[in-house]
Amino acid sequence: MKRVRMRRLKVEKRTNPSAWTVFCISLVSILLAFVVIGFIFLGFGINPLEAYLEIIIETVGNSYGLSQIVWQSIPLLLCGVGLLLAFKTSFWNIGAEGQLLMGATAATWVALFSPLPEPFLIPAAFILGFAGGAVWGLLSTSLRSRFGINEVITTLMMNYIASNIVLYLIHGPWKGETMRGFAYTDQFPESVWLPTIGMSDIHWPTLLLGLFAAVCVFFILNRTRLGYEVKVVGQSPKAARYAGISYFKTIFYVMVISGGLAGLAGAGEVLGVHHMLRHSDQVSLGYGYTAIIVAWLARGNPLIVILTSLLFGAIYVAGDVLQLSFNLPFQIVNVFTGLILFFLISSDTLLKHKLSFRKGE
Amino acid sequence: MKKAVLFALCLVFLLTGAIGLQAQDKLKVGFIYVGPIGDMGWTHAHEVARRIVEDTFPWVETVYQESVPEAKVEGVIDRMVRRERCAVVFTTSFGFWEGTVAAAKKYPDTIFAHCSGFMRAPNLATYMADFYQIYYLNGLMAGALTKSNKVGYVGAFPIPEVKRHINAFTMGVREVNPKAEVHVRWIEAWFDPAKAKEATNSLIDAGCDVFAFTEDSDTVVQVAAENRMPVFGHYSPMYNSAPDYVVSGQLVHWENFYLDFLSKVHAGYYTSKNLENVDYWDLLKEGSVEVGAKFGMPVNPKWKSRLGKTYDLVMERIAQMSDFQMVFDPFTGPIYSRKGAVVVPVGVRANYGHLLSLEYAVKGVVGSWPGEPK
Amino acid sequence: MEWQLWVIETLRRALVYGTPILLGTLGEIYAERSGILNLGVEGMMILGAFVGFTTAFVTKNPWLGFLAGAFVGGAASLLHGFLSIHLRVIQVVSGLALTLFGLGLTGVLGRGWEGQPLKASIAELSVPGLSRIPVLGPILFTDQNLLVYIGIGLAVLLWWVLFKTSWGITVRSVGEDPRTADALGINVALVRYCCTFIGGLLAGLGGAYLSIVYRPSWTQGMTAGMGWIVIALTIFSLWHPLVAIGGSYAFGSLFYLSFRLQPWVAPELLTIMPYLFTILAPLLLHASRRLRRRMGAPGALGLPYRREEE
Repeated sequence: MKRVRMRRLKVEKRTNPSAWTVFCISLVSILLAFVVIGFIFLGFGINPLEAYLEIIIETVGNSYGLSQIVWQSIPLLLCGVGLLLAFKTSFWNIGAEGQLLMGATAATWVALFSPLPEPFLIPAAFILGFAGGAVWGLLSTSLRSRFGINEVITTLMMNYIASNIVLYLIHGPWKGETMRGFAYTDQFPESVWLPTIGMSDIHWPTLLLGLFAAVCVFFILNRTRLGYEVKVVGQSPKAARYAGISYFKTIFYVMVISGGLAGLAGAGEVLGVHHMLRHSDQVSLGYGYTAIIVAWLARGNPLIVILTSLLFGAIYVAGDVLQLSFNLPFQIVNVFTGLILFFLISSDTLLKHKLSFRKGE
Repeated sequence: MKKAVLFALCLVFLLTGAIGLQAQDKLKVGFIYVGPIGDMGWTHAHEVARRIVEDTFPWVETVYQESVPEAKVEGVIDRMVRRERCAVVFTTSFGFWEGTVAAAKKYPDTIFAHCSGFMRAPNLATYMADFYQIYYLNGLMAGALTKSNKVGYVGAFPIPEVKRHINAFTMGVREVNPKAEVHVRWIEAWFDPAKAKEATNSLIDAGCDVFAFTEDSDTVVQVAAENRMPVFGHYSPMYNSAPDYVVSGQLVHWENFYLDFLSKVHAGYYTSKNLENVDYWDLLKEGSVEVGAKFGMPVNPKWKSRLGKTYDLVMERIAQMSDFQMVFDPFTGPIYSRKGAVVVPVGVRANYGHLLSLEYAVKGVVGSWPGEPK
Repeated sequence: MEWQLWVIETLRRALVYGTPILLGTLGEIYAERSGILNLGVEGMMILGAFVGFTTAFVTKNPWLGFLAGAFVGGAASLLHGFLSIHLRVIQVVSGLALTLFGLGLTGVLGRGWEGQPLKASIAELSVPGLSRIPVLGPILFTDQNLLVYIGIGLAVLLWWVLFKTSWGITVRSVGEDPRTADALGINVALVRYCCTFIGGLLAGLGGAYLSIVYRPSWTQGMTAGMGWIVIALTIFSLWHPLVAIGGSYAFGSLFYLSFRLQPWVAPELLTIMPYLFTILAPLLLHASRRLRRRMGAPGALGLPYRREEE
């Protein structure tokens, strides 16, 4: 082994990189990705500087762009925080998409069909949304605990099932009277629309819930018994058993929170954005899947999910700008996301190691 | 005839355009699409029309955005109006209505037109080019071609638009061949080649031998051709996908609407104050839709002899429906639903509202029919 | 007989639709058996579909298309391999990035290729003699394409390699316990690269099958989530190549039946059938105690391996 090391750079383990180092290295890797993307712009005959200028003006350069970024990051934040908790226990919840949809469905039921008096509607919609997502998540945990069926299968397949339930409802029993036969529910009464900030589309109650969730999960992880159990279970279920921690009980609570937060995201989307239930692909623009990345990039800290979800909000908005102003195909945004991710996760290695050149001994 | 009108229009506007129009005075027009422009269906057809508009009117400049999610349409309109300074915005999907209506309120000086919608405002018009007459004509041919008396139809979503088309198609089939049935399979997607393929195969296994469909790819055409069965193309000219088996199909000329609408905007006839009642509902006689395997080929010549007398019937119907008075329309009573109810009484011609919201299946339709009235 | 006809029709379609799923699943089984979780199957498949199609279109040779598609899938998997084996990144994100990148790149590059029918597809063939066997003949040996046989053959071959050869033991030990494997002198990184590459090759081949055989044309996003079905079926089949055959074709059968049964059952119920099956079928396996013991994932799945002294 020594022989090999002599020819290489010296690689040392870095134990605890400071927050500042993490931030700088991440930023540099994103910038590097931008350089590569610049070549793609050149390939399309677009001046990269011009493109970046336009992106900056239209994303962070004006209040309108900023509000779009925040607006898009809301569901990512809620789903991302929940997923982060699930991943901490090594429970592979890939089902945030389905949990979000079930939350949206439950909230729609409240908004359209529940007999509750008006002032209770919005809170009830959120509560039921949370419950809808949680129940959908718990189906996977119970299949896991009762029958040992891998959660990747169940959560993934339940996404498709949730999507088909939504389709069934909007084509069948919930089809709107006023929609001329098109597959949408009726529009919600305006009293259950979430308020937005000023002229923007930001439905702030959901945003607040998201920020609150991030803080809560941070608190749970660092200050509560559940948080301790989550960490132990995540590191080694065997060790957890010796410590007297029930794996399934922990997973149960974690999935209540994880699925529930995704459900809240869904409730927020229908109450604050759509004001109706529509085709599942339109209710969630793959938020449940993107949130997996959002959660992983946060490196285990729920507060950082706020940043990573904003990053993805910005990528989405930048994609819109590029399409409209430079006539690029819409798939370009996936190319960029992929590249940025490759660079970001590669930078992880840098974070864990210090590099220094050393001549052979 | 249509070309001549088009040419005249161009000439007029070339002349008017030449007078005192400078580059920055160009009319900027935004198009918002629901799908990717590369598919072979709805969005692609609008994109083709957009290019024709840009080539025809030198005073028009266009921008577009594809695959726009329904909830994001308002944001895209914002950017089109604010940043790109569009004076006219077309939103080309029913699902965009909420955002379009909201944006029309927000930008009262911008002209909007919403495709397949029904809500209008002083600065918001609606437009649609519908295929039901074409489907009826295709149905006539399908009825003549089927040997098993089972015609297959792969439908996208069970919504009134598709139901209307299947009904019109079935009425055509039954007019020529009263014993024939139309078997329907839903794939619950506008675009999903795998589902379309297996749906078609399941229809073949159920005994169908002629096909029509609503899906934005040429999958059904390919499967039918592999099995040597006649098929009707949808939305794009699909003749090239299987020259031996595409009998005819539905074709659209969205440019017909866009050219007309924009020229009237340019002439100052349409403004942001008077669109409250502007609603285009284009059928055969307006020239916005066409029956054919490809443009200018109403019936594939290879199939003309197989059609026999039906060919003459098709031509007669085309002439009748293209007539200014529209002396024939398939949705003329009596029409019975397959549950036995009279849905259009004797001698009555179904009106626009009826067509837009119909949910029933006519006699001859076989298969599940979500949302069917009792 | 009526029911015989149904069985024949259903299984015929299942073979055609299930083959790309089977190919992808076999590949992912190898990657995961060696400890590499690659969620980029969708990306590798779509890359294979695009490159396979364009190659077959330009050269008019479908076999070159398969080769090129498989190769591109393999190349893409090596990117994931490098990131997860050498840089030891989070494999979930790297895989998802690969999926996004593949979908995006093919969507951008594939613009001009859409809507062009591919004339150079492979011919369907019937095996003389065998095609006259009742039931089995019409399913397997009449007008089937060669790739179906290749898929089944590969499944058997890969099962044999994995469970009956020493290299198979090597692969499994690397995925179960890389430390011990390393101590025994096995080059963990090399084995993992190989398995990831096999995964990419087969995913790419599956993609090329879609664009050359299944539906001979190119459309962006044409894999339509098949890569995710592969991920689920990999676990479903307990990382076992022979079970993968059953899983893929059962999924294919249900997919076909969800249209065939429409006149009798509500379409909404039918569309969830394949997914419900994938969740619930393991319940049956649960009954068998022998299988239950084997239900666990490879011990080191998704975990990067690092030598002590590094």
